[in-house]
Amino acid sequence: MLKASSALFSAKPFASNLLAIVEAPDFTLTQYAGVEKDLKKALGKLPSRIGIVQDNFMRVGPTQIWSLNEAMDAPNCFVTPLSSSRTRIEISGAPAREVLAKCASIDFHKNEFKPGTFAMTGIHHVPVFIHCVAGEIFHLYVLRTFALSIWDHVSDAALEFK
Amino acid sequence: MTAFRRTDKPAHIDRTKPITFTFDGKTLIGFSGDTLASALLANGKTLLGRSFKYHRPRGVIAAGFEEPNALFTTGVGGRTEPNTIGPTTELVSGITAKSQNAWPSLSFDVMAANQLLSPIFSAGFYYKTFMGPLKKSWMMYEPIIRKAAGLGVAVPDVDTARYEQRHTFCDVLVIGSGPAGLAAAVTAARSGLRVTLTEQDFELGGSLLSSGNEVLEQWRKTQIAELESHREARVLNRTTAQGIYDGNLVVLNCIPQNHPAKMILEQCRAKTIIIATGAIERPLVFENNDRPGVMLASAVRTYLNRYGVAPKKRAVIVTNNDSAYATAFELAEADVAVTVAEHRSTLSGDLLAKAAQLGIAIFPNSGIANVIGEKQISAVRLAGRHAVTIECDVLAMSGGWNPVVHLTSHGGIKPKYDEKIAAFVPGGFAPSHYGAGGVNGTFGVMAAIREGETAARAALETSNFSKKLEAVELPAMREDRAYTIQPQWTVPEGKHAFVDFQNDVTSKDIKQAHQEGYLSVEHLKRYTTLGMGTDQGKTSNINALAMMADLRGLPMSAAGTTTFRPPYAPLTIGAIAGRNVGAHFKPKRLSPLHDWHVAHGATFIEAGLWMRAWYYDWAGHSPETAYIKEMELVRQNVGISDVSSLGKIDVQGPDAAEFLNRIYVNGFAKLPIGRARYGVMLNDDGIVLDDGTTSRISDTQFYMTTTTAQAGEVMSWLEYLLQMHWTDLNVHLTSLTDEWGGMAVSGPNSRRALQLAFPELDVTTETLPYIGVMDFVFEDVSVRILRLSFSGELAYEVHCPANYTTALWEHILKSADSLGIKPYGLEALASLRIEKGHVAGADLDHRNTLDDLGLGKMAGKEKDYIGKALRFREDCQAPERWSLIGIECMEDGKKLRGGAILFAASDEIKGHGRGYITSVTWSTELNKFIALALYNGGLKHEGEDIICAFPLKNENVKARIVSPHFIDKQGERLHA
Repeated sequence: MLKASSALFSAKPFASNLLAIVEAPDFTLTQYAGVEKDLKKALGKLPSRIGIVQDNFMRVGPTQIWSLNEAMDAPNCFVTPLSSSRTRIEISGAPAREVLAKCASIDFHKNEFKPGTFAMTGIHHVPVFIHCVAGEIFHLYVLRTFALSIWDHVSDAALEFK
Repeated sequence: MTAFRRTDKPAHIDRTKPITFTFDGKTLIGFSGDTLASALLANGKTLLGRSFKYHRPRGVIAAGFEEPNALFTTGVGGRTEPNTIGPTTELVSGITAKSQNAWPSLSFDVMAANQLLSPIFSAGFYYKTFMGPLKKSWMMYEPIIRKAAGLGVAVPDVDTARYEQRHTFCDVLVIGSGPAGLAAAVTAARSGLRVTLTEQDFELGGSLLSSGNEVLEQWRKTQIAELESHREARVLNRTTAQGIYDGNLVVLNCIPQNHPAKMILEQCRAKTIIIATGAIERPLVFENNDRPGVMLASAVRTYLNRYGVAPKKRAVIVTNNDSAYATAFELAEADVAVTVAEHRSTLSGDLLAKAAQLGIAIFPNSGIANVIGEKQISAVRLAGRHAVTIECDVLAMSGGWNPVVHLTSHGGIKPKYDEKIAAFVPGGFAPSHYGAGGVNGTFGVMAAIREGETAARAALETSNFSKKLEAVELPAMREDRAYTIQPQWTVPEGKHAFVDFQNDVTSKDIKQAHQEGYLSVEHLKRYTTLGMGTDQGKTSNINALAMMADLRGLPMSAAGTTTFRPPYAPLTIGAIAGRNVGAHFKPKRLSPLHDWHVAHGATFIEAGLWMRAWYYDWAGHSPETAYIKEMELVRQNVGISDVSSLGKIDVQGPDAAEFLNRIYVNGFAKLPIGRARYGVMLNDDGIVLDDGTTSRISDTQFYMTTTTAQAGEVMSWLEYLLQMHWTDLNVHLTSLTDEWGGMAVSGPNSRRALQLAFPELDVTTETLPYIGVMDFVFEDVSVRILRLSFSGELAYEVHCPANYTTALWEHILKSADSLGIKPYGLEALASLRIEKGHVAGADLDHRNTLDDLGLGKMAGKEKDYIGKALRFREDCQAPERWSLIGIECMEDGKKLRGGAILFAASDEIKGHGRGYITSVTWSTELNKFIALALYNGGLKHEGEDIICAFPLKNENVKARIVSPHFIDKQGERLHA
């Protein structure tokens, strides 16, 4: 198989005792589009609204579902592989919410942005999908071509925790 | 002689922590808890600056952001900050402060001679005087005037400080931590909801800090301690609320401690907002009221009680209201001899009794006729019957109080005049906004606390909190005295009665503005410069408006106010820029092949947000020579170029073909599977939006490519059409620009290169003809080959998922190494397409029609498409439109330049010409400069000689209009 390369090959590592910012590669991202009944038939139970993650499915639009599961056949749905389109950056640690608050205009309070939820927002004018994986662990799905720029931006925002 | 001294009374300074700082090069000592202004006063420094226009000596007037005069330049080099406000600058070790607008020294300022000319430097002087004698005379006067007048000077050095930004949210935002704000914050915090309290000062308490009252001090400490105990309460001192915007967005600028950033600009979105911003005392206007030592009474009280800085021996207080008596009494208790010049004729008994007890002399029906002393007040002459002269160190003035209504007005609610307190109060509050305390015109502490609590309860109700909460404990003291005032609005006589201390606007200027017809408050402001500058008229505006109302015979309520706009206080540009500076100025977009390019000697060029490989080391070290070698490689052999930046869109759905048929001018409904087609799309105004190639992958799936520049716009446009106009079409769009990387393999040997890279693949013309598309899997990776040519040579685009683009690129390079394949960059890519006559971003200027570009014939005649109707409007069909042509340079040794203006050979070289060059290159095939251009009438003029004028370099080059297709007009190469 051809060797995969990372968009963060030349990224400056972020090292801190309080906070970790690392690339979380090797994921599968697939978009399924279609009418609700076809999506349900193909994928099973789906999140009812935008913003919640259910069984690795995320509703990103009225007729679009993102899946972090292995790609599957979906009759009558329109499948688009997107695994290369995003670079996944994991930010974890106690100050993670504080760092994210410097990057995006989303309420990252622990009672508002809970594990299992996501937000489609922007960092430094670039669309970014932020998934709260656990209490203080977040996955940022960043457009691959902007990944290094966003890495630099987030790392810079985290300077006070270095 | 010094006019001030430190007291030994308890204050909010830590006398065990001395702090060293410098003022005009002299080392001084203050204490932790001091401000720059309080430390300077304690060191006997009363002459602190020179005024804006007249260079009059000036000292500190206030104790807050309203300070008009005590402004300094602090810091050095890139950290230099002009117009630092002395009374709000926390004294920290090593501050270097310099006075402003004085030369050669503060004490001896040459430009103080301006004072002699003050009779002619009145309002409008510049406008009237410096307009002639010639039209451009102002250009000569301006630098001289700017040098002679002004405040601090910004330095050209780059600001090396770090500024950050952040976004926060809360249920209740309380702005101001005086008695009302503290009570509101504590009440709200008891709910357990998210409460943020902001305070511009470095200490919480607002007016409580100035009170000198032990009971209030204890109450303040109790509230702060309770706030700190509430987990969801967030307290931000050193934080100024600069503006309130729609959606309850409040912009705060915070000065963090022990933090890499000098300042953090916070965008706080609050469900409810309690404005407890207090009130600012008004000065009184009288002759020489600007002399150092003339201060607001509340400021004198603050310096006394908060910082332990008292006038040395004697103070005179001039007032028209009761509040100044607190200052009088506390000064007397600090062994200062106090005299009160009272504007009113009668006073309440309790004030008279206490004054008598403290030995304070009160002169009713009085006022100030004049101030004696130039660089420091030495005495005042009273007005009225008691025209006596009284020696003093300080003159404390109080003309009443102005509620700080600024934030309440940012949403467009005009303040209203309240006769009872002779001041403007909020004209109302936006939904979910509340006011408490001084901002409402409530000047008593006990009433402010109650209002704070009430406001918090209302805010909680708005936040759907309905549980019962314990009331905030009131301080154990008697109820507030009633506030009484007799406003002084009449315009005083004299030439040096200052209304605006920062802009040197006098009562005489107000009169003059009235005489000359500048009656509205907005005209008054602009004519006199009143209310401009760093203080934005916080001490001056109301007095000036009142004087104008008096001159016009209007009540204050009819005079109105100027408009309050953010920011409330001076805000450095650095805070607004935040981290969007230097490398972070804008995001950079990198191809999946970027790291390979870096490692293999590419020089990059910005193309929008993209960083694209411009040319490579193997071909040369300058773009002028390297691209020619790279072009030759493609024309004669084979090259490979990164085209990942092309926009790529996945179009899927049963109606995908119909959708494409509507958006492209040419037909796509019958495009066979496995074939691509060049298409052009128009905006609905008939103007070309973009071009590109779309391939049919299956019955229901198409792969669209767009130009790099228009990728985002095309995606938005298509989504808009589907979501707003063609909701009946079952089509799904997904951007694949990031998912897929791409490379162009171009040149007569390109097929051989692919055969070497994919030996098991049949890429012959029979299987993969021109504009054919082939999908296959190579080493478990999906690969798509499109036989397309941008260069005019036999060429292919090879696309694959971006994670594997580098590996595939390296594989092709390695496999075809024996052929001599090498990478070529953007410059060569662009030059090759000019030779072929392909239009691109530079030629598509959002004004071209299909016919302008020579593409009119490709539009379907029968079918409908976006832009068809307006494409045929009269103007779009005009014969003399600027249309695409080719140009060949006719002069050896001369070059054509992009942007050159085109003239017919017989034209005078003047004006906008008949067109301009959109793209230019050296042609390796024709051995001359060639260009694409837009020209009046286009190819109707083919064969005519023209002049390409480039006035910036004073060049006129002879050229000839030719077909834009310079090479291989029959397309034999690309069909090979």
